[in-house]
Amino acid sequence: MFANDNVILRMQGIVKEFSGTRVLDKVDFDVRGGEVHALIGENGAGKSTLMNVLAGRFSDYQGRVTFDGRQVRITNPRQAREMGIAIIYQELSVLGNFTVAENIMFGDEKAGRWTQKLDRAFINAGARDIIDYLGFDLDPERKVGRLSKARQCLVEIAGAVRRKVKLLVFDEPTAALGSEDVDKLFEVIKDLRSRGLAIVYISHRLAELPLIADRVTVLRDGRKVGARQIRECQISALTRMMLGHNLAEVFPEKTNQPGKVILKVDGLSRPGAFENISFELREGEILGIAGLVGSGRTEITRAIFGADKARGTVLFHGKPIFGRSPYLCRALGIGMVPENRKQQGSITGRPVSENLNISILGRLSGVLGFQSSRRLKSQARLMIERMKIAPPFPHTGIENLSGGNQQKVIVGRWLAAESKVIIFDEPTQGIDVGTKSQMYRLIMALACQGRAIILLSSELIEITKLADRILVIRDGRLVREMQGAEADEDSLFAECVRKDNPE
Amino acid sequence: MTTDAEKPGAGRTKGALSFQKLQQASILILLVALCVVASFRSSTFFTWTNLVDNLFTNAAALGVVALGMTFVMIGGGFDLSVASTIVVCSVVLVMGMDWLSPYGAAVAIPVALLLTVLVGVILGAINGTLVAYVGVNPFVVTLCTMLIFRGIAQILTGGGQTQQVRDILLRRQFDWVYDAGLRLFGGGREISMPILIFLVVFTVGMYLLRFTRFGHYVYAIGGNEEAAWLAGVNTHRIKALTYVLCGFTCAIAAAIFVAKTETAGAESHMGKELVVIASVIVGGTPLGGGSGGLTSTVIGLLLLRIIDNLLTQFSIGPEYRPVVTGLIILVVVTVDVLAKRRSGK
Repeated sequence: MFANDNVILRMQGIVKEFSGTRVLDKVDFDVRGGEVHALIGENGAGKSTLMNVLAGRFSDYQGRVTFDGRQVRITNPRQAREMGIAIIYQELSVLGNFTVAENIMFGDEKAGRWTQKLDRAFINAGARDIIDYLGFDLDPERKVGRLSKARQCLVEIAGAVRRKVKLLVFDEPTAALGSEDVDKLFEVIKDLRSRGLAIVYISHRLAELPLIADRVTVLRDGRKVGARQIRECQISALTRMMLGHNLAEVFPEKTNQPGKVILKVDGLSRPGAFENISFELREGEILGIAGLVGSGRTEITRAIFGADKARGTVLFHGKPIFGRSPYLCRALGIGMVPENRKQQGSITGRPVSENLNISILGRLSGVLGFQSSRRLKSQARLMIERMKIAPPFPHTGIENLSGGNQQKVIVGRWLAAESKVIIFDEPTQGIDVGTKSQMYRLIMALACQGRAIILLSSELIEITKLADRILVIRDGRLVREMQGAEADEDSLFAECVRKDNPE
Repeated sequence: MTTDAEKPGAGRTKGALSFQKLQQASILILLVALCVVASFRSSTFFTWTNLVDNLFTNAAALGVVALGMTFVMIGGGFDLSVASTIVVCSVVLVMGMDWLSPYGAAVAIPVALLLTVLVGVILGAINGTLVAYVGVNPFVVTLCTMLIFRGIAQILTGGGQTQQVRDILLRRQFDWVYDAGLRLFGGGREISMPILIFLVVFTVGMYLLRFTRFGHYVYAIGGNEEAAWLAGVNTHRIKALTYVLCGFTCAIAAAIFVAKTETAGAESHMGKELVVIASVIVGGTPLGGGSGGLTSTVIGLLLLRIIDNLLTQFSIGPEYRPVVTGLIILVVVTVDVLAKRRSGK
């Protein structure tokens, strides 16, 4: 009964290269039935690539995959699905206009042979069976688009169980969930585990692992660093395995000195997103805003920057900003490095020089708005040198730069605009440890120059190591303010999900 | 709970169901209001002759195409080539009948019709294959085929000469498609053949879209193509089929037009694809698909037609029509965008 040998999935020596770069280097990984196996690592460590091999997104990987006792080669997503592998991504793939029942039974509808008439009774009955079996609180006839994210996730799980999956992969499921929903999801995962499913749980939130995982495998730079029973290891040890550096090497020393108040937010509200947010920001201060994705932290900073409308006032140097808009904020000296670099940051297809100078083109233009490309380039070169952007050419298309260098360009944009307040939303998402470290040093250096920084991040360690003060946002409310010195990763996470510390 | 049991497509975005309903209702209200105003201002508006014989009958042919277009657009696609397809089909129909006239009407008409339908389906299949299997953007594909099909019609007609069936008897017999009708309530009131054809296509379309697996999957593809594909749905085939269906409806429309005008010309129906697409959008099927329906398309079509009819009734010059039509579409779509924005999406 105790399923020690009940290995559902075994991956051995998995190698995957992208145009010559090895992103997975002989990785071994296995999951047993009735087990939750956590897969952790930094962004870019290879977690997603490994799971994409499993999902059949690549046909050119090397190595051996054994699934359910048979050796297999997974070459396309449908094959993976038919074998009994389901991956629940953060970006859920439910059909919003379909009912819960239609989603759960999707792809398995019955229709009359000649009339081709869809059998709705079959759909509803089949879905109800699954929902009852799992004990979910779902109404089969409700439209999925009207459900909360957490409920939508349940719909996807129910669909997977209906297809009799043997292996269920959760890709950072808690990133988009609120606090109570995280609890519920963990209950569901435990229940699925007790039903004998093999579960892979991907996360970079170490603090939640003891709540849910049995074993943990750590990846770094495409290699497996080690696997441990969760009971036998400490969070700090896992952090070291994940980062592979001494933390002191990655993070700069705190040398900034907060000065006088530069920005004051007073009673900022946007119905459905956040409510009554008030705080102050000082020159030379790094203010961390912590909260789960979906807690409203991004929305708050977007509202300050004027990208979204909101009630309440924002005072800059003691004077309220009327009619906030990104245009006005830029002119005043407020900048934002947005969360989604690809969609909201880089202007793809245009060279680095234009991306760097887009916020100051007015200042750079001459008579009749003439843009001198030489002036543009020389200005860009200054910034490239200052930010150590590689490759150091103003004419390179920004899309040809690595994620970290693209991020530097976008930060450089606001430095060029001489912003006094810079909002960093997930500045290190998807960039390697070396560049991350550079980014941390840059943020610290900016603060030392007297600029005020607002830092948002899912990687709580960044906030605890860099911020002077930390605001905790939960379900759209400012629930706690902490001093940077008193916070550590674990206590901060507990605040974000409102849980007692698990250990 | 009864509202939740509706078919897919009733709601458009998260939590915007009520707004979608509101929008649909507002179009319906607009439609009714227009009719009321019209019947007060014009004694001839609310007459059988004006409404059924005139308005509905005239709207029927493009209405059939709008039904086909609705399938394509719910599936997330787009078809700019419908007017050109109609033109090729009409030319083929006229030339086919002309060519087959020696065999007598009993052979010529059905065979030519069959040929026309075949051509419509093939043209639709060309669009469908390029969009669904090859993966070219539907706007690009159908923009090109719009030009190509129109060109084919011109080549077939030797440079765009208007075609007519030479056999007068055969021509008169084919007029049946337009002139026949279903007598109702005595008193000479009848429902014309084009309306009957439209109703048949509408009924079959409703069944396909709302009660079959095919229709279910069309909504799914418009909603989330990747998810549908991963669930094991043959998304390529379903998408291609929506274009085939659209081509088929073009062939039917061609038959109605030919019966009405007794001619076919390579230069006719210019810009009609936009009228068709406009009806679908005004009705409430969004660009990008995933929701909408045939009933909404009919409402959209009627709205545009009634406005057109009213302009005629009040003898407002035809030069104002494009402006009015454009404004109506703009207003309807803007209201929709604003409603969605308010609902938080």
